[in-house]
Amino acid sequence: MADTVLRIQQSGLLATLQDYGRFGQMAQGITQGGPMDERAFLWANRLLGNSFNAAQIEVTLGQFKAQFCRDCLFAVTGAEFPLQLNGRPVKTWRVLQARAGDTLTIGVNERGLRCYLAVAGGFAAKTVYGSVATVTRDGLGGLRQDGTPLQQGDELGARTPQQKTLESRRPSSKLNLTLPQQPLLSVVPTAQWQKFSRDAREQLVQQRYEVTPQQDRMGVRLKGEQGLADIPQSMISEPLPLGSIQVPADGQPIVMMNDHQTLGGYPKIGVLSWTARSVLAQLPAGRKVQFRWLELDEAQRELRQVYRFFNIRR
Amino acid sequence: MKWQFQTAAPDALMIALEERIDLSVNRKVQRLAQALATHGAVLEVVPSYHTLLLYYDVLESNEKQLRHLLEPIIKSLLDEPDEAETFAGQHHTIEVCYHSELAADLAAVAKQTQLSEQEVAQLHSGVTYHVYALGFAPGFAYLGDVPEPLRLPRHDTPRQKVPKGSVAIAEQQTAIYPRTSPGGWQLIGRALHWPELQAGDQVTFKPISLADFRAQEQGQEQGQERSKDDAHG
Repeated sequence: MADTVLRIQQSGLLATLQDYGRFGQMAQGITQGGPMDERAFLWANRLLGNSFNAAQIEVTLGQFKAQFCRDCLFAVTGAEFPLQLNGRPVKTWRVLQARAGDTLTIGVNERGLRCYLAVAGGFAAKTVYGSVATVTRDGLGGLRQDGTPLQQGDELGARTPQQKTLESRRPSSKLNLTLPQQPLLSVVPTAQWQKFSRDAREQLVQQRYEVTPQQDRMGVRLKGEQGLADIPQSMISEPLPLGSIQVPADGQPIVMMNDHQTLGGYPKIGVLSWTARSVLAQLPAGRKVQFRWLELDEAQRELRQVYRFFNIRR
Repeated sequence: MKWQFQTAAPDALMIALEERIDLSVNRKVQRLAQALATHGAVLEVVPSYHTLLLYYDVLESNEKQLRHLLEPIIKSLLDEPDEAETFAGQHHTIEVCYHSELAADLAAVAKQTQLSEQEVAQLHSGVTYHVYALGFAPGFAYLGDVPEPLRLPRHDTPRQKVPKGSVAIAEQQTAIYPRTSPGGWQLIGRALHWPELQAGDQVTFKPISLADFRAQEQGQEQGQERSKDDAHG
């Protein structure tokens, strides 16, 4: 590609190209994909003056190395992994200037799971069903349009940036974007909530849960001290929204994340709020969390603020 | 017909009809999906057996407003007579080879149902199926209803790898695996070609012999080779 902006030298565990997601195809069984930590992704685009939908690289567990092939502005948001430009430490959540030939390395620490590498203009790739979001399970999206993750040697181009000069923008320090020690995840009662017993609904917000290693871009399994009691029976499969909390017979919740299947038959007790979903996307196995109930109105208010702030148009 | 709204997400509302796998219920879902997909307040619709999920723009409406807006429309659509001509679905015939060489569970299914493999094929290809929903994976169509004698449960442990084109059954449902993937259904045949199915379409299966299947398969591979050569000039 003549216009290459970045060459991947080391892709780490999993690095995928993601835009805001693939919409309008769920009736065909095609899931949405998109960034697991939507908040970090949207911030990176906002800092760079990109469209909310501009494609970025989602780097899972660091160990990522890439070379810039021309001058450009970039930002890394999400987990605060150690970041170096030509061996010099640089900061996350900032607009940075790269020169042709510069090498960016992203290390790893315990402070999260995923970070987002964005360049001004956004990475360029051919869309599949209107999106470049990489969904390995569906075999759709990414640089090769076939759902394969980024690999060593891949070269990415970028779209023409709107913002060309370096403005030292960063999120207000008043916004709490760091991960709390014991996150409180807001859940809106939805779907079969009423079919769960009063005790089960109480138990969900009373006990602590641990994030398990059984997690990927499809979903995250959590483990409570005790499984919820009196689980409603499995149902006829129905459409499954992002962030839904399914509770199978063992009473332990599974949160459906971006690459979730479009239909599912386990009863659902609720759905995570927008913020809660982005927080969960960063929690390593073993971290403790607690749930709290949130009114639908509150969750909608949050979503409206997000849509306005990040200028999201669906 | 009884129905209700359910909150599904901060930006999604579910319409739930009577909870059963039933052609008439599913046709109503299809009818609602078709009509509401183009409604100004609706961003995307996702139909399943007896449910329909609607995504909406939270900047335009809140859930209460949306319920008010949609309720009369849904009521009148559900009151419409259940006439066949209101469904714009297509009919497809798909060739299937029912042979143990291509279908790992065919022998076991025959044994469990106390039928011959040929009878399994005859029964499975003897009815017209309705596409209830698409889901699980891109293009995976849930078809029904499988004739009573063939209704068997899923495997307790899903297979890691179900070959692409596998024709499978589970209880009253049947499906073609559109790509090689894990799967827990009982594999009774294999198809080489199938169209893109839409919810509401109809499907019949036409049995073909193993010799025909292999001949077509070879033709397909040669076709692919040729197009590869073309691509390389």
